[in-house]
Amino acid sequence: MNICGYYPESINEGDDLRAVIFLSGCRHRCSGCFNPATWNFNYGEPFTEQRQQEIITEMANNQLLGGMTLAGGDPFFSADEAADFIDNVRAAIPNFSVWIYTGYIYEDLIVSVDSAEYRLLMKCQVVIDGPFIESLKNTSLPYRGSSNQRIIDIQSSIRYNDAVELTT
Amino acid sequence: METRSGVSEEEEQMLREVSGLGHDITESLNVEMLRENANLNGESFSGKIGKFGSEYAKWYARYYIVPEKLMTAVDHNDLYVHDLDQYAVGSTNCIFIPFDKLLARGFSTGSGSVRTPQSISTAMALVAIIFQCQQNSQYGGVSGSKLDHDLAPYIAKSFAKHFHKGVLYFDENLPLEEHNITLGSLTLCNSHPRSYSFAVQETKIECLQAAESLIHNLNTMSSRAGGQIPFTSINYGTCTSLEGQMIIDSLLSATMNGLGSGETPVFPIQIFKCKRGVNQSPEDPNYDLFLKAVECSTKRLYPNFANLDAPFNLQYYDPTDPNTEFATMGCRTRVLADRHGRNRLSGKGNLSFNTINLVKLGIKHGIVNGRTVPHEVDFQRDLYHFLDIALNGLLHRYKIQARQPAKASDFMMREGVWEGGELLDSDESVEECLKHGSLSIGFIGLAECMKAMYGKHHAESEEVYATALELISSMRRYCDMKSEEHDLNITLMATPAEGLSGKFTKKDREVFGSIPGVTDREYYTNSFHVPVYYNLPAARKISLEAPFHELCNAGAISYIELDGNVRSNQTAFLKIVQYALSQNISYFSINHPIDRCGSCHYEGIIGDTCPICGTKETDVPMYRLRRVTGYLTGDYQTRFNAAKQAEVRDRVKHR
Ligand code: SF4
Repeated sequence: MNICGYYPESINEGDDLRAVIFLSGCRHRCSGCFNPATWNFNYGEPFTEQRQQEIITEMANNQLLGGMTLAGGDPFFSADEAADFIDNVRAAIPNFSVWIYTGYIYEDLIVSVDSAEYRLLMKCQVVIDGPFIESLKNTSLPYRGSSNQRIIDIQSSIRYNDAVELTT
Repeated sequence: METRSGVSEEEEQMLREVSGLGHDITESLNVEMLRENANLNGESFSGKIGKFGSEYAKWYARYYIVPEKLMTAVDHNDLYVHDLDQYAVGSTNCIFIPFDKLLARGFSTGSGSVRTPQSISTAMALVAIIFQCQQNSQYGGVSGSKLDHDLAPYIAKSFAKHFHKGVLYFDENLPLEEHNITLGSLTLCNSHPRSYSFAVQETKIECLQAAESLIHNLNTMSSRAGGQIPFTSINYGTCTSLEGQMIIDSLLSATMNGLGSGETPVFPIQIFKCKRGVNQSPEDPNYDLFLKAVECSTKRLYPNFANLDAPFNLQYYDPTDPNTEFATMGCRTRVLADRHGRNRLSGKGNLSFNTINLVKLGIKHGIVNGRTVPHEVDFQRDLYHFLDIALNGLLHRYKIQARQPAKASDFMMREGVWEGGELLDSDESVEECLKHGSLSIGFIGLAECMKAMYGKHHAESEEVYATALELISSMRRYCDMKSEEHDLNITLMATPAEGLSGKFTKKDREVFGSIPGVTDREYYTNSFHVPVYYNLPAARKISLEAPFHELCNAGAISYIELDGNVRSNQTAFLKIVQYALSQNISYFSINHPIDRCGSCHYEGIIGDTCPICGTKETDVPMYRLRRVTGYLTGDYQTRFNAAKQAEVRDRVKHR
């Protein structure tokens, strides 16, 4: 798995101050994608154990961070590795909240409880879902690029068996 | 040497200078001079007239008034005398206005007298008038340190008035006791339910309208020379009476509503006073107002946050006297302590300040010149040399200020805006009053100074950081020592330096060339700040800058830059503010971009195209509101001087 960006602090990818990690690789190919270079799984640098550890240490030492956000590409194309990374993070920073971006819609990700995608989803608190749709582009929406995308509270959605959106 | 016309060469040079001044102003030749102050349109007629006055006054002070040593240090770029144009006439800098006193007693503007207001709308209208009268008595900022406490009695009056009206409308003619007619009276609410709720509603509406017109007034009265709006600040947040809470709430709502077409008000600067037990935790009475202040600040850049719990502020705090609560002039000036006993805010202010160019000292004695070790001893000697010159300049100026008759600052003294002034005859000197004010020595460019001395600035090395802290501590010790010696309030200031940041740099670069990390930008870093272009986590910037706040007893501010739309992320905003307070930052604010579409007036983040109406920047101007040294200005691209424009470009944002 490659990483193609890292913001140690950001207010633009979820509530609270969050670290943001961009994982390379995406097959959705949305037209008007903000950065098609990130589609390539070899884009950026390898997310080695050492680099992971560096970032985890930095996040653990930043007392203002409320959590991290995984963005891409689409982390769900590297679901197993992304889930393992979250495990590593939680081992060091137990109650760290994780938001995640995806070009899939929530309903697709929960189809099979045995899938790697489901496992990854269950490790996160919030998912911002759906492909970027150029005709629905709206940069004034918090945390999203187009109005079809939703900010979904994962645990509540599982409980109510329906996508529960966060109000922002 | 005499020339043929009988005029000495020196006189001829002076003549050339003074006529050159006029030419530059009339022809708008010196844009930097005209834009020195972002809130003054120096290219307008009135701006030019103002410039004529101030440029000539500076010229006069330089040749006839200011001590030669001080002027030489200024010419050599070692020191800066703030508001040199005001030096010769002996005017003073800024003041906290006792609005409670002026409103309760009524006052005279000089051309008419004003009675005690009988409603909140009149009281707020008078606040604007008082600000306007006072700003002509001095040259710097005018501030209210506790506007919520000051105005609460007039909410009570409005409520009583509306209640009586309600009794008539609703025919609720039951017996009542006059003293029971208060906003919080349950008895009243039960005995006269309809009149009571009518009165509450009407008072709320009146208060909000009054707050809106106050803010409009303070943004539109171009009553200072040069079409300049007075530099007004208001502090609030701690009054826990229902009346006080209504005022705070209305001021915040009015600010969020914005001006005529919804734009962000530039004035007054608003400061929310944070105090544990009052407004910092969910169980505190004013916590919801603190949250509203946070919301407002994410939309409008104001209010900023003052920290009443920082130990050096808390030591003066008396919960029964809101006048002992730390408050600040918007730009950062702090005047809480007084060796002559007035350890409270209203009725005094700062008298003047001189600023030391730390960077030049660093260049002269640091490793930057190819030296292998910095000459710390010479640096120290030089520093004390300039501290002495700066101080002697302040004392010299103080003598001029102190011998002025009360009538020279008529409103301020006659009405007792400066406490005790009302007891003076109009020809009597103001000395006894002024001794309660402060004389401040400021500094600029600690970061570049350290870089020049040691090759690293104070955020880049623990060792350098310790040295930097010790340097500022030694300057503070100097001020404390001299306070004793002269029995005056001599304090250390973290200079904001709007016009100054670029001037020092430009001259130093002419002499020393462009030195990386030192003179290679268009400005020097403000006071003790970590350079805006240096990337580090927000928490680290806060904890690095915090200890300097206690040292700078004349005032300091710290900023965090956020890049993005904080409006939708108030959680992050709130957390950063409370973290800064917990670290004992005295005065804190968060900078973030506010753009405004010239076509549909949408405010938020705008790239080259408005996300709402789709207009392109190439077709319509997008106004980009940014903050410099505490004051907001209109669009920074047209109102800032070059140095400050460069600083805005260089700021590293915590995304
Ligand atoms: S999901 Fe995101 S990264 Fe993938 S193509 Fe769409 S916009 Fe681009």
